[in-house]
Amino acid sequence: MAVAPAAIKPKRLARFRPGAIERRNLRWGLIFISPWLFGFIALGIFPILYTFYLSLTRYSGIKAPTFIGIQNYQRMAADPLFLKAAYNTLYYTLLAVPVGVVVAMVLALAMNRKIREVAVYRAIYYLPSILPVFAISFIFVVLLNPGYGLINWVLSAVGLPSPNWLGDPAYTKLALVMIAQLGAGQFALVFLAGLRGIPVDLYESADIDGAGTWQKFRSITLPMMTPIILYDLIIGLSFGLQVFTSAYIITGGGRTAAGADNSLLTYVFYLYKQAFQFGQMGYAAALSVVMFVVSLILAAAVFRWANSWVFYGGEEA
Amino acid sequence: MSPGPRWFRWSVPIFTLVLVVAACGPAATSPAGSAAPPASTAPSAGASESAAAGGSAEPSAVTGATCASGATEVKFWTSHTPPDSDALTNIVNAFNTANADICVKMTIVPGAETDVAKLLTSIRGGVAPDVYMADRFTVPQRAAEGVLAELPADVAGMSNDYLPFAWAETQYQKKTYALPFDTDARALWYNKDLIQAAGEDPAALDISKGPPTIDAVTKMADKISKKDSSGNYDVMGWMPAGPGAGGNPGAFDQGWHYTWGFVNGGNFADLTTCKVTPTDPGVVAGYQFMYDWAKAHDPQKVARWVTTNLPPNPPAAQNPLWTGKLAMSISGDWRIAEAAKYAPTGHYGFTFIPVPKAGDKGATWAGGWSMALIPNSKAQDQAIKFMKYIAGPDGQKVYTKESTHLPTLNALLSDASLFDPLHKQFLDLLPTAKNRPPLPVGAAYWDALTSAQGSVELNTKQPKAALQEVQDAVQPQLDAVGC
Repeated sequence: MAVAPAAIKPKRLARFRPGAIERRNLRWGLIFISPWLFGFIALGIFPILYTFYLSLTRYSGIKAPTFIGIQNYQRMAADPLFLKAAYNTLYYTLLAVPVGVVVAMVLALAMNRKIREVAVYRAIYYLPSILPVFAISFIFVVLLNPGYGLINWVLSAVGLPSPNWLGDPAYTKLALVMIAQLGAGQFALVFLAGLRGIPVDLYESADIDGAGTWQKFRSITLPMMTPIILYDLIIGLSFGLQVFTSAYIITGGGRTAAGADNSLLTYVFYLYKQAFQFGQMGYAAALSVVMFVVSLILAAAVFRWANSWVFYGGEEA
Repeated sequence: MSPGPRWFRWSVPIFTLVLVVAACGPAATSPAGSAAPPASTAPSAGASESAAAGGSAEPSAVTGATCASGATEVKFWTSHTPPDSDALTNIVNAFNTANADICVKMTIVPGAETDVAKLLTSIRGGVAPDVYMADRFTVPQRAAEGVLAELPADVAGMSNDYLPFAWAETQYQKKTYALPFDTDARALWYNKDLIQAAGEDPAALDISKGPPTIDAVTKMADKISKKDSSGNYDVMGWMPAGPGAGGNPGAFDQGWHYTWGFVNGGNFADLTTCKVTPTDPGVVAGYQFMYDWAKAHDPQKVARWVTTNLPPNPPAAQNPLWTGKLAMSISGDWRIAEAAKYAPTGHYGFTFIPVPKAGDKGATWAGGWSMALIPNSKAQDQAIKFMKYIAGPDGQKVYTKESTHLPTLNALLSDASLFDPLHKQFLDLLPTAKNRPPLPVGAAYWDALTSAQGSVELNTKQPKAALQEVQDAVQPQLDAVGC
């Protein structure tokens, strides 16, 4: 009888010797997953290690790298644009991720309505998600035009101020957040699957107890959806920290600086400029390494924080 | 669950309709070109960065379809788009016809002047072009990076054939890395109709009267500017500096840091000591002018006008100078061909860039492109033969006539058949034109100066502080690679 992994004590694990069957299974298992293993090592582990090595060099991408120790990291500490890019990216991520969760949840709730035409609406809400980000960005350049854009026209019609979305540094990152929401349909589908997985009898019991819509949402829907929300947060965090294309497009593709007062100079955009405009591949590698470490720390922090609010079905409260 | 209240059922299709309208309506006007080339000459250069961002496959060659089967292939990349690429196509076709044993395949590879992502990856991937059309001020930087190959001695000996400043831009550590192609000059373009409508006399700006003063032009422009009922600019009298297209830092058209720095007698670098000098008094004075002008005209309102009238990557036809929304702008010789195409009924003129004080000598600056050889070319001899042709009299004559740019070959400057009267006036500006310092950190310097210009235009930084940041950021990079 197999021993449950949780029951194995470290001392016993050290003495564990696989038998012939286990060894054969292990061998075949490794053979079967070898394509993935090769890809993981060649395209995942090796580039990470090589990037770390390059971060300790001066390298243009063509000539042989010259080892310069930690100079690239020292330069980063004194680089105002590095700080600006980090600030812009964190600002965007901290705004876009929660907004994205709310939008995805609202869309999923709308998609979950039992009305005849719901399949059509689901398709339409999902449609923007299949458009490339650069195409959406081009569209938003026109939508956000302060003089004749649709969004300012609507705002003016209801008596609200019409900002200069792309030319005023106070609004440029909000424009990026708006662009990101057109991809919310993708997450909304995941949320919808989560909503469909909530047992109906919970709502029926709540109805019998006289619970209202808001009470049912707060006490049943939201807790049951927390694993999905965690998933969305982690993926959103990853996407948010890597935001590039929309900023690249709406600033004209790197022809000038990145947005009014460099307000759209995102971290990856800055990294790209260093690597491919200024031939500073070593410095770009150092930027990548810092990004990698920060991403790991943020993801770990979110997971740790999630222990206090994520509810997995069947757990004791 | 219940189907929901009636308002919800109606709200869904209405919201959907709004989304569909929003998504479909404006797509037809998606940007396709550029009216404001920042770094160099060609208005069409770098017109479609979307392809770069989207990672599209390499576009197919636009020449070489009729080459003989045994001809040696030479791959030639340019970022230029029509109409300039049409002139390039004609030159390449003429070369292929005259050299049956060589087949030059020209490919339009969109991208910004300072962005070599595609070139770099193609070199690493072993599929690089043989000849690359490089913005000339970036040549020393690309040479330092190893992206360009040193040219052989016979090519390096052609220095006397070209304008000295253009040749200097192709040098890095006393070695030659490219052949100069075209050049240009900048001036103050003005719309006579808008000036007259404001009760001013456009004859005051006639080029025969010499350079106008900044004050005189600003006063005239302020009479032309109009605001709408919300207090936002509808028509601008002039845009001396920025922001650039889409409200991005930099220049509206050619009102760059270099423009106002040179006008104020500034020096941007000391090549003998290998130092960048952004805090040179003349450069600071140029930035101070941009700061003061923006402050007097409300930076946010100016930015709003630019964003409204010139979104990122606008089609050339959308330039407010042609649409009647702008009376005066710093621009270049390539606008001659554009004016004829996009504003054939308008009345335009150009004169010297305004100067700080009456009697000051006029100043302009020249940019331009070059033909460079990529390392490890398998057809090096054929590639160099093509470079000599396109950057020689045959190629430059065609390009000068068809694109209204200026040649860099000394021998062509006196060829009257190449220039109509308007074009000739730009040619006359060339002897006094300055150029960007050929530095191995040219792109980084340009970018840092542009960021500083953006901050100054928004009045978020004082000129001297912004330029000190440029110094602190760029000099260490220059120290690392040397001149």
